Amino acid sequence: MNDAVVTESLKRFKWVGTRPIRPDGVPKVTGRALYGADMKMAGMLHGRILRSPHAHALIKSIDTSKAEKLPGVKAVVTAADFPNQKFEYIGPERVAVNFWHVTRNIMAREKVLYEGHAVAGVAAINPRIAEEALALIDVEYEVLPHVIDVDAAMAPDAPLLFDDMITRGVEPAPTKPSNVSKRLEFKIGDLDAGFASADVVIEKEFKTAAVHQAYIEPHACVARIEADGQGEVWSSSQGHFQMRALTAQILGIKIGDLRFYPAEIGGGFGGKTVTYLEPVAVLLSKKSGLPVRLMMSREEVFKGSGPTSGSSMWVKIGVKRDGTLVAADGIFKFQAGAFPGSPVMNGCLCAFAPYDIPNQRTVGYDVVSNRPKAAAYRAPGSPISAFAVESVLDMCARKIGMDPLEMRLKNAAKPGTPTIFGPKHAHGGYAETIQALLNHPAYKTKLGPNQGRGVASGYWFNGGGESSATLQVNADGTVLVATGSPDIGGSRASMALMAAETLGVDYNQVRAIVADTGSIGYTHVTGGSRVTFATGTAVVNATKTVVKDLIRRAALIWDVDPEGVIWEDGHAKPAGANVGEFKPLSLREIAAKSAATGGPITAAASVNAGGQAPGFTTQFCDVEVDPETGKVTILRFVAAQDVGRAIHPSYVEGQIQGGVVQGIGWALNEEYIYNAKGLLDNAGFLDYRCPVASDLPMIEAVLVEVPNPAHPYGAKGVGEVNICAPMAAIANAIERAVGVRMPELPMSPPRVLAALDAAKAA
Amino acid sequence: MTAGAAPARVVFTSGFSARYTGGVREFAIEAKNLRGVIKVMDAKFPGLGQTLEDETTVAIDGELFEIDFLAPVKPGAEVFFIPKIEGG
Repeated sequence: MNDAVVTESLKRFKWVGTRPIRPDGVPKVTGRALYGADMKMAGMLHGRILRSPHAHALIKSIDTSKAEKLPGVKAVVTAADFPNQKFEYIGPERVAVNFWHVTRNIMAREKVLYEGHAVAGVAAINPRIAEEALALIDVEYEVLPHVIDVDAAMAPDAPLLFDDMITRGVEPAPTKPSNVSKRLEFKIGDLDAGFASADVVIEKEFKTAAVHQAYIEPHACVARIEADGQGEVWSSSQGHFQMRALTAQILGIKIGDLRFYPAEIGGGFGGKTVTYLEPVAVLLSKKSGLPVRLMMSREEVFKGSGPTSGSSMWVKIGVKRDGTLVAADGIFKFQAGAFPGSPVMNGCLCAFAPYDIPNQRTVGYDVVSNRPKAAAYRAPGSPISAFAVESVLDMCARKIGMDPLEMRLKNAAKPGTPTIFGPKHAHGGYAETIQALLNHPAYKTKLGPNQGRGVASGYWFNGGGESSATLQVNADGTVLVATGSPDIGGSRASMALMAAETLGVDYNQVRAIVADTGSIGYTHVTGGSRVTFATGTAVVNATKTVVKDLIRRAALIWDVDPEGVIWEDGHAKPAGANVGEFKPLSLREIAAKSAATGGPITAAASVNAGGQAPGFTTQFCDVEVDPETGKVTILRFVAAQDVGRAIHPSYVEGQIQGGVVQGIGWALNEEYIYNAKGLLDNAGFLDYRCPVASDLPMIEAVLVEVPNPAHPYGAKGVGEVNICAPMAAIANAIERAVGVRMPELPMSPPRVLAALDAAKAA
Repeated sequence: MTAGAAPARVVFTSGFSARYTGGVREFAIEAKNLRGVIKVMDAKFPGLGQTLEDETTVAIDGELFEIDFLAPVKPGAEVFFIPKIEGG
């Protein structure tokens, strides 16, 4: 057996690209799927978290004695129960984890830094007693001035969240503390010369609101810690290995003492790559000796878990009259929330990435303020800077009288185009998405009064990295594929499809599961659009190993050399007439002889997958603006995305539709609304307005397939880039509909109406 | 590395080079794979190897990889160490 034989068999694609029904559909539609909050155990306690009622306050004292004495209360924890963490930034720059901060976000110590900041945890025999106990915890606060807005937080006289925060990335280092955690700068070319060569230069300031990922399922977990310190945790997250590692680090316990089980997950979009509850539940279980369940209410999700950053931005772009982009500059100030770590670096790196612009600069500021700590959200950072950049690009196109798609096509990055972060682009795919829309029949259709068409594009890196998979062949020839990737976007289906394709067996013979940390090798989070690429590669590698083993076993059965056997259409066959006359052996027939041919047929594969290709999207939408109310109605939305190769096209289309809809919400309605006291006024879905089906037309997803040769089937990540373009596409459509440029999100009816009124007055 | 083949061009961001390599952004290094590159850089700047492993993603001729010692580095390749990216 050799790899070439397997590779040849892969070209047929009997299953890859098909649309079988989802394997997790029945338990989900019948309500039997077990999410984080569904786990129940004998003797299980109910946990609750006491949260700060203030935006910013010193904690003078916490007295838990009355709560501890309440009958039915089994454990109370505060920050005093957590070990100290060293102050140091470690790991990836964007998330540069500083566990001194992380432990203070999970449980406040010296100060509370936002409304909803956790202060204490309680476990009791029922939820009512736990709630009652929270009211008995006496916290003495000294309320401090607060700051919410990013520009206000950067002002010299702003209230400081940390008295010793000196801005990193500035030389020489500032002598005074501020709320600016970090400054970043990326640059290529000669900006001054670039702008000097431009015929048209347009600059504009923009603001975006903090928006929540708005996953339907609140955070929830159950922890059971035994007297020997070893234990198990069931939780809903985007990575149970990640949750285990974070929990172990935060509590100072060995990773090997914890086993994490993945619950079914009701959405994450980046927001469930970080931990809030698991360490608290483990501590409460350890203290009480009983299993403890913790779950957030919707209000707690909004107040206590991380949205993505709001921002304040400035972008300037220079263009020649023929549409050639010659220079681009941007300043991006991102809210980090109460602790450093906004996705501003990604915003800086992605801002101009789709374009071949010889002279570029991006400057980023990571700014703390009295809001929940920002968490990842779908292509974190990129949609924010894209709103500003793609808006200014549209203004440039209008100014020079060029079709906005044609202008993007003229400047589209291609393999060999330099990037602001150093390397040249290695993959294409962007121009193809633009071309797909230029060829779309609806792009040239005429629009009516108060209607406009806007276009925008987006870029996201996509991820690779560490993943593990195992494959087992059962005695009847059915196959089990296990991976360590929680299934958020249909990975069980795509893993089964790739295994079926590689094995040459029916998809319905293959069942895919998500295995716990004790049953599979380390697998990084389901995030960064990495799973189909990286975990898929592990699945295909494991399957190839099994195919080699099946060939070896067939050769043993036939008493021939393994080199004389090939694997084709799910059967072992003689490689040629000279091998001998043998009836092909099916997977089932070989599996039936597994004991005699060497024991169970199984293989494991682990990868650190590299060579992932980035995601590009180009989208257009038609809107109608009601001049009486300022309401924007989406009439049509078409999103083209380079997906490499769609393993399961329905899921890929679903990812695109989901990202676009979240982008529409970000564009038109979603925002955190704070009152004068720095308290969140809209912590619920009635007042935090996500788009629902009745608000929207069918989102048309156009799958552009430029395969990535680094993946066995050409797949690229598809989960994130789709959210990068809608905000600017809609803003651009509004300007073309009614002549007003909307530089601030959300473009809600009152804001659009105000812009229309201002335009009339002018 | 075959005799006379072009060394790889290894590049750091300006921020990274200011912190770790005395402001020098580019190095010419002969190595067959990423392990070789990191080994040479660690010899030039002791401790840098671990930092590269922990904090960077590498682009070899534009292709992004998490740090993987076995990632091949062809003669004349461009090797950029960039801040690690995390998605949502």
